Amino acid sequence: MNVFIELLNAEFLIASVRLATPIILASIGATICDRSGIVNIGMEGMMLMGAFFAAWAAWKFANPWFGVLVGMLAGGLFALFHAWATVSLHLNHVVSGAVINILGFGITRYLLELFFGHPGTSEIIPHSLAEYRFAIPLLSRIPLLGPVLFNRTPIVYMMYVVVILFVWITRKTRLGLHIKAAGEHPIVLETLGISVKKIRYIAVILSGILCGLGGAYLSIENGNSFSEGMTAGRGFIALGANIAGGWTVVGSLIASFFFGMVDALALRIQVLGVFRVPSEIFLIFPYVAALLAVAGLVRKSRAPRALGEDFQIERSGT
Amino acid sequence: MFETSKSFLVIRICTILFIVIGIVLFLGSRHIGLVFLGAACVLWLIGEVLENGKKHLIEVLKSGFKTIRLPLAGIFLAFFIGGIFLLITGYQPLKSFGAMIYGGLVKNWHVSILNAVPLIFTALSITIAFKGGLFNIGAEGQYYVGTMAATWLGIRFDLPSLVAIPLIFIIAGGCGAAYNAIPAILKVKTGAHEVVTTMMFAYIARTISSLFIRFNGGDPTLSAHAYITDSISESTWLPTFKSFLPQANYRLHIGILIAVITALAVHHILHRTRLGFEIRAVGLNSFAARTQGIAVGRIILITMLLAGLLAAFAGVTQVLGLDHKMFENINAGYGWNGIAVALLAGTSSIAVVFCALFWGALDAGGQYMSRTLQTPTSIVEIVKGLILFLILARYLFRYFRRKA
Repeated sequence: MNVFIELLNAEFLIASVRLATPIILASIGATICDRSGIVNIGMEGMMLMGAFFAAWAAWKFANPWFGVLVGMLAGGLFALFHAWATVSLHLNHVVSGAVINILGFGITRYLLELFFGHPGTSEIIPHSLAEYRFAIPLLSRIPLLGPVLFNRTPIVYMMYVVVILFVWITRKTRLGLHIKAAGEHPIVLETLGISVKKIRYIAVILSGILCGLGGAYLSIENGNSFSEGMTAGRGFIALGANIAGGWTVVGSLIASFFFGMVDALALRIQVLGVFRVPSEIFLIFPYVAALLAVAGLVRKSRAPRALGEDFQIERSGT
Repeated sequence: MFETSKSFLVIRICTILFIVIGIVLFLGSRHIGLVFLGAACVLWLIGEVLENGKKHLIEVLKSGFKTIRLPLAGIFLAFFIGGIFLLITGYQPLKSFGAMIYGGLVKNWHVSILNAVPLIFTALSITIAFKGGLFNIGAEGQYYVGTMAATWLGIRFDLPSLVAIPLIFIIAGGCGAAYNAIPAILKVKTGAHEVVTTMMFAYIARTISSLFIRFNGGDPTLSAHAYITDSISESTWLPTFKSFLPQANYRLHIGILIAVITALAVHHILHRTRLGFEIRAVGLNSFAARTQGIAVGRIILITMLLAGLLAAFAGVTQVLGLDHKMFENINAGYGWNGIAVALLAGTSSIAVVFCALFWGALDAGGQYMSRTLQTPTSIVEIVKGLILFLILARYLFRYFRRKA
């Protein structure tokens, strides 16, 4: 029993938030994208692009804030490619996502060799965003919650803003309504005179920007360099979080945070050496958790009705 | 269900025989093998005429030309874009691609074939899943399982080759199938999408593989032996071509033959058996299949098991044939490249062989290019991605025609 009390303390929760942040960002991206009817399995590639370009810009201009911006931009541009392929070229969404991943691995590897002169890992960036940790004056004094939530690094705060923003967008705004309609009944939306194409483009690019931010978090805030394949399946875990969370922003947030906690638990068990087994075995925890969550919860939720369906209108005379 | 005449069957068998002889001779560095391959082509044509008549053959050839026209254009375009990319980033595109073609097809052609062997298996695994309407995105995980099982057995087996090798294939293949059974059961029972579940299993297998290496001879304290297992016993090595064809390259092993035969077998299962018919029916429309009395859940399970088995075979041939031990290979990439090959082949298991050879040649050529010209190998990854995209996006051409 003592062991478990030792495991679950403030430090554990702090680590959970740290590990959950990229997954939360990407899973909200997945939610937005899926709600518009476009399947996005290319998030792994988009996160890699975000992570790489963030690290590159932060290194080149010695300014991590610039890195965040470039990372988001790279994710968004790469997502534009997915949008173009699926919406305009009517390519199968899953196939396009697979191509996005393959290209993401390839392009980051190529540019890594080109910009840094060697494969594997980039140079260490001069200033990482972790240096900009700050405590919010009053809130950080709350016992337990204060240090866990309100004494953090910049992208974690951005993640809070993203969560609130997207809850607001999906629940209260016209754009949110249109995105949901594009995923449920695109033809109805089109009949109302709103372009399904445009809405889907917006949703996919938004998801790319969020993936880019998640990737940037990995390379310039959580770490201080880019390494090949550093996302290690987080794009797919985020996809799982989105499904387990029932294709809602709040659900994705909860599921992602749960995966972050599992990840943190694995780390703590490794550090404390509670069980006499090789520590690598705990690295599989988040994957198993994602697997179980998806298997256990997928029945309870309903996917957007037009998810993965191509939308095509034949216009006569044009 | 499928009636075939006897003479047709004889010709088909002869064709296959000729293909095998031709490939064996060619792999033994005897170019007369090409003559046999040509003869096999002629025999295939005769067989088609006998079976379906002349008109049908001409139609087949015509449609064949039509299907190959766009992919070829796509390949050229991809190289063109890749070339521009190289030019912008300060390398010589013509020289680089020249070296790539020379390295992949002439200088290191045996490396191309060695690269293609595991790709054929993983691509077949993904193809069979595609036919059943499933996306086995985690073939890499089953590949790792096959590799681990083969290494574990290979280190411990002390049996004659004739017993040991088939036994390893069966057991390791079974392990891969069993590993894929869990996502399959989840898919059938809960509807959990296989893209997420097989991918998670792939990461789990990859994580466990580094542990496995540590427990089988890998020792992090020895820098020379850090992430490699002990060698498997020599009796379990796949025979190389050199053992019966003295001129052949010493690394070429018979895995390529096993791969080609497997591709033919998969083609046969998919198109000539009841099971294959049911798999395709479920893939095309599972509701219609259910109303026809096909047990959809059972077919999904069988499809995933077969996919797991085939992906595990990729690992087995790699260990028994080429490496003879297991490395910690973080980005082996046979899973993703297998997906690319399967997509490129358009779910035809025969085309998989050719696409895998093409993919393998790209890799081998890329290595040669970077060794001789210091152009980064990863340009190959980009060209591969572009080829895939340009060939898949059939609408691309229509899109631009409409715009113009």
